[in-house]
Amino acid sequence: MLPPIFGVLFDGFAYGMLLFLLSVGQSVTLGMMNFINLAHCSFAMLGGYVTVLLVNRYGWPFFAALPIAFLAAALASVAFERTLYRRLYRASDLDQVLLTIGITFISVAAAAYIFTTAQQPLQLPAYLRGSLSFMGLDFAVYRLILIGIALAITALLVACLEYTRFGAKIRAAVDNERMARGLGIDVDRAFALTFALGSGLAGLGGALAIEIVGLDPSFAFTYLVYVLIVVSVGGLGSIGGSFAAAAVLGISDIAGKYYVPQLGAFLIYLVMVGLLMWRPAGLFGKR
Amino acid sequence: MAEPLLSLRKVTAGYGEAVVLHDVSLEVPENGSLAVLGRNGVGKTTLLLTIMGFTHLRGGSLAWRGRDISRLPPHRRAAGGIGWVAQEREIFPSLSVEENLIVASRPGAWTLAMTYKLFPRLAERRRNMGHQLSGGEQQMLAIARALMTNPALMLLDEPFEGLAPVIVEELVAAIKTMLAGGSIAIVLVEQHTDIALELTSEAVVLERGAVAHRAASKDLQKDLPTLDRLVGLRVATST
Repeated sequence: MLPPIFGVLFDGFAYGMLLFLLSVGQSVTLGMMNFINLAHCSFAMLGGYVTVLLVNRYGWPFFAALPIAFLAAALASVAFERTLYRRLYRASDLDQVLLTIGITFISVAAAAYIFTTAQQPLQLPAYLRGSLSFMGLDFAVYRLILIGIALAITALLVACLEYTRFGAKIRAAVDNERMARGLGIDVDRAFALTFALGSGLAGLGGALAIEIVGLDPSFAFTYLVYVLIVVSVGGLGSIGGSFAAAAVLGISDIAGKYYVPQLGAFLIYLVMVGLLMWRPAGLFGKR
Repeated sequence: MAEPLLSLRKVTAGYGEAVVLHDVSLEVPENGSLAVLGRNGVGKTTLLLTIMGFTHLRGGSLAWRGRDISRLPPHRRAAGGIGWVAQEREIFPSLSVEENLIVASRPGAWTLAMTYKLFPRLAERRRNMGHQLSGGEQQMLAIARALMTNPALMLLDEPFEGLAPVIVEELVAAIKTMLAGGSIAIVLVEQHTDIALELTSEAVVLERGAVAHRAASKDLQKDLPTLDRLVGLRVATST
């Protein structure tokens, strides 16, 4: 028999993996181009609503909707990057914050206008709602799949960044943007692709989040806070850092709600403050 | 054949509001070699940065094989055939030696195998990360990295600065091998005037951001009064 703490760890880790998917793109964008994109979770929310629409209204299978959620968020982010963000790469932090928080407000209002402010239920097939019993504890199938997807994506991202020439270009651009340009690397294009990939992953995270935390127009703001916590605790531009931070914060959030309900959702902030006092640049951060 | 590889016409450039270069005109022919001399702070590095497109061009124009590149962004100039070896070497620390070499490589005569043959030390260090190299190895890597882009022109910014004499000899030999191939031109900014003049056929001396003197390198080598006046005593004592 496994003690119940394993159930808490499991739920916490699953939640952490969700936070990882939502935040990894933000971490890379901030680390690579120093662009503060507070609208990141609007792209995640877009992925969520696309999934709801496809599954509930058009009867798509859940797994077929996930790639579309990814694509929708990635393409929307490219459109914003080309038309608006690009102009502000060299602008001040305040300008970037004002633009992107404005986009977030607009996205929240647009979502409320189109989908109302009600929670969107997602009709999942029965096999995704069950759970597996293992040594006396129940593990939700959906959370197992969520963890599987997040681990697969982490492995894919790390492999892409560490072992491909495209990954080397991105690392070179993060190390020394001017030198990378001076050697002929099209840093803007590499960034646009990375940005699209990160936003796509946020869209996928938004789709996968519905079953765990629900979906309503406030999503873009609520999860922005968590994403920023994960990014700052993990360290800018570090996939490994985001992964570790998301896992630690997910587990401590669930464990806090389970064991110290008086503190409830507040524990995650205490963990953040503690970790940042220990390592001000984040777990894996360099600056 | 009349078109020079690179030509600068009355280039005035600097950073933001500050103007560093004034009315600089010069030409580098295909396979040519030009030494850029002068005291510290006369604008030698700024000249190279201007050729790359990293400075604010306020007047004049730059042409590459007869085409105006004055408004071309740096990465397009590099892709067009200008290789840049920066003063601080600027090796990518989170890339391995081999990744530093292939990250921006373009097809051509300088393959990984050829480059390792020129710098055998880099082959030994291929798995090391960029920040684990000695100064000399970093300089070799910086030159090798630019070579791997198979440039028609290489800009070298004080490649021998702060290196032990043995390493300098090794680098000079490598640059001579590189030039002997006959398909690459260089612009060499250097404080070691004697080495710079030995490696090049033409020379310009900058003073306060403007060209103060032009000569064939072998003539300038003998013209000690001019060198003394424009570059400093250090030359007189070392020749």
